[in-house]
Amino acid sequence: MTPLRIAGGRVYDPANGIDGDVRDICIDDGRIVADVPSSAPRLDARGMVVMPGGVDMHCHVASGSVNVARRLLPEDHAQHPALAPVLDDLATIPRSGSAGLVPTTFTTGYRYAGLGYTTVFDAAVAPLMARSAHAQLDDTPIVDGGFFVLLGNDDYLLRQIDAGERERAREYAAWLLGASGAYAIKAVNPGGIELWKRGSRERTELDQALGSSRVTPRAILETLADSAIALGLPHPLHIHCNNLGLPDNASTTLATMAALEGRRAHFTHLQFHSYGTSGDGAWRSAAREVIEYVNAHPSLSGDVGQVMLGPAVTLTADAPVEYLLHRSSGRKWANVDIELETGCGVVPHEYKERNAVAALQWAIGLELFLLSSDPWRVVLSTDHPNGGSFMSYPALIRLLMDRAHRDEQIKRVEPKLLAGSTLADGIAREYTLGEIAIITRAGPAKLLGLRDKGHLGVGADADVTVYVPDADAEKMFATTRYVVKGGTLVVEEGQLRRAPAGRRLHVRPSFDAAVTADIEHHFNQYSTVRFANYPVGDLRDASVPLAPSGAR
Amino acid sequence: MTAPGIIENVTCLGCGCACDDIGITVRDGRITEARNACALGVEWFGDGQVPARSCIDGRDVSLDEAVGEAARTLAGASRPLVYLAPDVSCETQREGAAIADMLRARLDSVTSSTVAGFVLSGQERGYASATLGEIRNRADVILFWSVDLERRYPRFTSRYAPDPIGVHVPDGRRSRTVISVDVGAAVTLAAADHRTTIDPAHELATLTALQAIVRSPDTGSATFARSPGAAWDTARDLAPMLLSGRYVALVYDAEPDERTARSPQRFDALGALGRALNERTRCAAIALRGGGNRSGADSVLTSQTGYPMTVNFGRGYPRYGPHDGLAAAARDGNRSDVALVVGNVAALPSAVSTAWSRVHTVTIGPRASESPLGDRTITIDTGMDGIHTGGTAFRTDDVPLPLRAVMAGFPSAVDTVRSIASLVRRMTR
Repeated sequence: MTPLRIAGGRVYDPANGIDGDVRDICIDDGRIVADVPSSAPRLDARGMVVMPGGVDMHCHVASGSVNVARRLLPEDHAQHPALAPVLDDLATIPRSGSAGLVPTTFTTGYRYAGLGYTTVFDAAVAPLMARSAHAQLDDTPIVDGGFFVLLGNDDYLLRQIDAGERERAREYAAWLLGASGAYAIKAVNPGGIELWKRGSRERTELDQALGSSRVTPRAILETLADSAIALGLPHPLHIHCNNLGLPDNASTTLATMAALEGRRAHFTHLQFHSYGTSGDGAWRSAAREVIEYVNAHPSLSGDVGQVMLGPAVTLTADAPVEYLLHRSSGRKWANVDIELETGCGVVPHEYKERNAVAALQWAIGLELFLLSSDPWRVVLSTDHPNGGSFMSYPALIRLLMDRAHRDEQIKRVEPKLLAGSTLADGIAREYTLGEIAIITRAGPAKLLGLRDKGHLGVGADADVTVYVPDADAEKMFATTRYVVKGGTLVVEEGQLRRAPAGRRLHVRPSFDAAVTADIEHHFNQYSTVRFANYPVGDLRDASVPLAPSGAR
Repeated sequence: MTAPGIIENVTCLGCGCACDDIGITVRDGRITEARNACALGVEWFGDGQVPARSCIDGRDVSLDEAVGEAARTLAGASRPLVYLAPDVSCETQREGAAIADMLRARLDSVTSSTVAGFVLSGQERGYASATLGEIRNRADVILFWSVDLERRYPRFTSRYAPDPIGVHVPDGRRSRTVISVDVGAAVTLAAADHRTTIDPAHELATLTALQAIVRSPDTGSATFARSPGAAWDTARDLAPMLLSGRYVALVYDAEPDERTARSPQRFDALGALGRALNERTRCAAIALRGGGNRSGADSVLTSQTGYPMTVNFGRGYPRYGPHDGLAAAARDGNRSDVALVVGNVAALPSAVSTAWSRVHTVTIGPRASESPLGDRTITIDTGMDGIHTGGTAFRTDDVPLPLRAVMAGFPSAVDTVRSIASLVRRMTR
């Protein structure tokens, strides 16, 4: 691969303490290097901003449930056609698609790259459907990709917890990560999806028994959080708390955080879990309580899950939430219960600025960002497509960087609706470019344990984005002048030129082989898929190395 | 312990059940046994012997020559169609979709000619469903709505429900109530606990009446008790049984009923009943599909274009043109000048294959040479995905399963279509 020098740009590389210095970034053989010969090809980045490639640590772009959503929404695709790009490379077939709320696979890769993102994780894949996720990621070009595998309602796991077999539960998680080709463990509404399948319509509390008193959401979370640590996984347990979207769910969120005291854990789309009630039962923001807890507990991290006003699609493994949304909004609803594992629900939605709940959700997300004390631990997401499309990240960045613009937007929302939110009192904070680089690149890469991503130090993957500065941050981040991915220049003068395949990021922890006999026995009794057919097999890309147990 | 020559855990695509527990014995280059396979599976596997000809207008040529001629023909077409027939893997389907995109062709599969009503109903209204193992492990009340299980899905009852034990139905069949409703003459399940036959003219009314009773807070109300007619009679009988379930499975056939004329609105009505039941208890409505990885084609098209069938790339991006399958297929013949058909032509409805009688066709798939389709033909015989080539296929509930190659020695469909795609890319850049 040809060496390349990105010359004279203002570099933001917070992981290496670089905050706007003018310097060259040199690339050779797919990695950042200290220097390249003066004869090497050169990109003139003078006056431009240079950052590591973006890392989206939580989105829904490549799974069976994403396809359920795509299929449900032909009317949205029809409004957002996407032509195939004109690519320089004859070996690659450029593909057209749809670029709406749930874009098609090829278009997803092209659009992420167009925004300067080079690594993307699908946040929720049922292990039974892992092959489908891998196939869709194979069709998502340019970005390196991976996914988190759902374990929070897994029948075999729950049996081990019931039997007091926490070690066997850990070995099962290790086996399952490799069998599905996943990157991390995800828990969605632990225990709550199983209860939905059993007919429950109630809230799920942390100590609620699922049949046996030993099997509770608390026990599931402890087991999985401990497993992630013991296995040396690069990313800790990724948690979608119980009672998402319900009034006064902040108490559940805080109780869950307290339950995992001292352990590393990542709490996803915090906005959807930060609702309180005021004395008269009205919704209010509990963002301050939630973010202050995260601020004070350094082992915890989160992503915001910002709501962007306008149309969205809710798509989640948290099937009971979707049923409730369908009943309250009347929008069409797709539900698929997934055997022995989890669920999936899809309901199209709109966050209307005149709607009390939507306006408050929008405000709560902003509060979480603006009151966060550590950008390394509270990173940017919209839970695409649940809170809004990833294509809205530039607009969100502008809201964080530009107080005057933000205050304009706040004025458009009915002030009464924001009562109870600190946003109404005015929050002066403006994110700096360096902080944006943290919450969209350096922070997610670090939280994911991706040693070679999110920074531009020597040895890092050569994933580099060059933006043209603009006083309007949305304009600045909406288009890229250059994007380098793995050393290949994919965006040139703002045009997508090349679309090489990305790498699959996955882990393959070792596990006690003796446990597979028991897993196979369970398969033989209850599964409709043969044990031998379940693992996805070897993936083309080598797995990410793991830390020695407990070292992280 | 496996004896030599037997390959275990092979996936069968004889129907949408996609049983993956087949044990294939290969002896002297032939499949001699498909252990666990039903009659459809035995027929699907066959003996594994397929022709291996490449032909242009019936004349034998080399594979390279046929591939080159296929690419030139497609690249030169003004109104091309790419059609995914059954019995190809998702990997093969993806190569076909890439060609359609490059050529700005129409892209379709057998889905539009068989289950378009079911697809459209789901898109317009949504659906409440589950994977088949959920039915096996939870369903304590199963309503089979006019499914010819014995002929079309022979192992459904023994692999999924009602026979097997499940996590929440530990006594298997004894833990469940099985209801069978036949619409017209179709025979669903002789061994049901309750069997009813209804007049096809009453199908929608019966489902609607059922929905009304299920939705009502007072299911014993006098209003319902008084409503006259066969549809209400049936609904009054069935509703209490359904409402007594902890997890109700509504199992129906998405494929056309060849014996009885049925209402195309039945999918809306079945879906609505499933949603209504979810207000009172839990329910999953399960649609059964025919064999050959039909759901795989839907999934590949959906993830790549946004639409599960009837895609038109004519403007350089996918547009959706859902239609009533068979009628459009007849028009198809006049709309295309070149058709690329990928898959097993013998598995196509005849109304579809005869639609191309005046079209220049390129057929890639098993036994392509035995059924040349158009007035000018290029046929390339390949092995069968799932017998001669591995890959991925989808069960009717969209669970992806591995396909295994149990025999070697035949050109693969995926490699052949990919070679054509590479050539077309060079010719059309």
